[in-house]
Amino acid sequence: MDWLDFFQSITDGLLFGSIYALIGIGFTLIFGVMHKINLAYGAASIAGAYVSIAVAAYVPLPALVTFLIAAIASGAIALLIYLANFRFIPLASPLATLMATVGMLILIDEVVVHATDGMPQPYPALFADIYIEWGDFGLRGDLIFIFVLSLIAMVVLMFMLYRTRLGIATRAVAQQPVAAQLAGISLDRTNALTFVITGLLGGLAGAMIGASVGVLSPLLVVPITVKGLIVCVIGGLGSIPGAIVAGLAVGAFENFFLAFRGVTERDMYVMLLLFVFLVFRPGGIFSRSVARD
Amino acid sequence: MLDSKLVRLGAVAALAVAASFGTQSEAFSAEKTVQIAGFGAKSGVVRSFGINTEAVLTGAIEAVNAAGGVKLADGSMAMMELTFYDDRCNAEEGISVLRRIAGSGAVVAIGPTCSNVAEPLFGILQKNVGDEGDSGLQIPVFTDTAIKGGLAKISQWAFRNVPNENQMYKSLFEWINSEHPDLKTVYGGVEEDFAHSRFTWHKVMKERSPEAGYEVLGESKWLLNDTNFTTQVRQMKKAKADIVAISAHPFTTCGVLKEMTRQRVKPKLLVGLTSSSSMETLQGCADQAEGIIIPTSFAPVTEAAKAAADAAAKYEGSADLHSAAAWEIVMILKQVMEAQGISADGDAVDADRRAIRDGLASLKETDGLLGKIQRTDEGEAVKPYLYVHAQAGQWAILHDPSQ
Repeated sequence: MDWLDFFQSITDGLLFGSIYALIGIGFTLIFGVMHKINLAYGAASIAGAYVSIAVAAYVPLPALVTFLIAAIASGAIALLIYLANFRFIPLASPLATLMATVGMLILIDEVVVHATDGMPQPYPALFADIYIEWGDFGLRGDLIFIFVLSLIAMVVLMFMLYRTRLGIATRAVAQQPVAAQLAGISLDRTNALTFVITGLLGGLAGAMIGASVGVLSPLLVVPITVKGLIVCVIGGLGSIPGAIVAGLAVGAFENFFLAFRGVTERDMYVMLLLFVFLVFRPGGIFSRSVARD
Repeated sequence: MLDSKLVRLGAVAALAVAASFGTQSEAFSAEKTVQIAGFGAKSGVVRSFGINTEAVLTGAIEAVNAAGGVKLADGSMAMMELTFYDDRCNAEEGISVLRRIAGSGAVVAIGPTCSNVAEPLFGILQKNVGDEGDSGLQIPVFTDTAIKGGLAKISQWAFRNVPNENQMYKSLFEWINSEHPDLKTVYGGVEEDFAHSRFTWHKVMKERSPEAGYEVLGESKWLLNDTNFTTQVRQMKKAKADIVAISAHPFTTCGVLKEMTRQRVKPKLLVGLTSSSSMETLQGCADQAEGIIIPTSFAPVTEAAKAAADAAAKYEGSADLHSAAAWEIVMILKQVMEAQGISADGDAVDADRRAIRDGLASLKETDGLLGKIQRTDEGEAVKPYLYVHAQAGQWAILHDPSQ
């Protein structure tokens, strides 16, 4: 591998890693607010993208509107997940909600499979025909667009969390749920809104994955769920800046090892990275201290 | 008085019961059915394969029954009856389904979809017929879809009606060489974690293409559920091969073809995996797949093949090289059952299964939708085939090697 290959693989990985960051933010935001893992998040993200192409099949839509519909649909599905798996299930039992979301993941996946017979569906992309080349170094126009769109989504999210009443309420519930309730903040409403917000981000991520591959398939559900969880752990459970950095890092890391060691070893190194963090930095990238027993 | 009345009443009741038994017995013989079990993936990402197989099986059995059914050993006719099971393309599920079928009245099982199911599933069948020390299942399994090479030799109860990819790709590369003598090099793309695609690249395309005079410049690998193919296509671009041979299923075939378009990788010729000669590929990436050449054992070019395609469409399925094999299997089974003289009695299921197995094992040649199918001693088929290519969103026949 020469330096060009090295930079190329890292750059491609960073660009694609922005999608992992979006997925990771969804997992981490829910964990930060509710201290629960929503394993159906990736499935809801892909399902939202499927809804968008179902709508586009009836009404021809520009790609951007299709992406928007994916985000809205995923937000709606996320709300349903909240109601079905969290609102009416005793939160005191962590396993109950976790297993409920596993069930929801399988349910959503099978609904998509039955609706499409598992057949790949073409997904629109923007700037797919643009490929910027400097000698042997090249950049995909659609991945640059995805990267920029993901950054915008992250900035909007950060603004919302730190500059709006909803964001303050969300952070208050995450930090001190009892005090937040005493201050008049509704836990149920805040939790539900958190799910909707993460759903919007997830739908956007699902649409971006569809756009980057050019095809949607139920095959996408498991990899993005696994990558989202890895990003969430490496970034630090509950840390949004951590999820952003970890998403980009995981994208670059896996693409580097894909080019350097091949596809059959790639995921081994990603898992190794996860174990390294769990052992030496269990609090994630931005944890202040190493907390170990 | 009361006693005689009771005796008369009892006699009438006994006669009525006897008469009713007699009627039931006659009706039973008239309504004998030959139980056929189908199984394949009807869940998960390969669901369309199971749907297509079930549709074709239903249509084929309907055609057999419409023609009078199957002639039994006693000369009576029996209808075929299909029960279809979902194995989810999962080895454990497949084994569980076959055990359930073996415990039912089915005389034969048709399936499975996936090679990764077929391989372990054939392993739980009795290896050698009549081996009393082997407690493996004794039911003939006739496979329509699982295509990975050489699986039927695992058990003498296993039979397949799948195309011989070694022969198809050998012939295809030779034909390409004769048609395009200017092409000299091949580069492979392989979905590395799927039994069929992996086998077809490493053991078929990669070995057969040099025999036809090509130099293999290298290969790019990816996984079934990968989403990013930039690195692999960049490797492909660097190789600058004349022919790119992609051994992958439709989802990643489309992902790679789209990435090739983005990076402007334009080989002079594209070759695809047999399983990708389906509507899935055209639905996912018709524009990018334009021109890709794939050998296939099915195309609706004969009357029988058109009937099979129509029957599949009637039951909301699609006839392709995999599912159309199920039509041929039903027709072969009808002939074997009649030749072997099965009884279709509920208490003679084991004997019927053995008779069908022996009949299938003795076959040397059968009728197929595209012509005669040769049968090997190892339970495999050597089927006629065609080369098709993607043209304006359709699979069009490019060449018939038998002509």
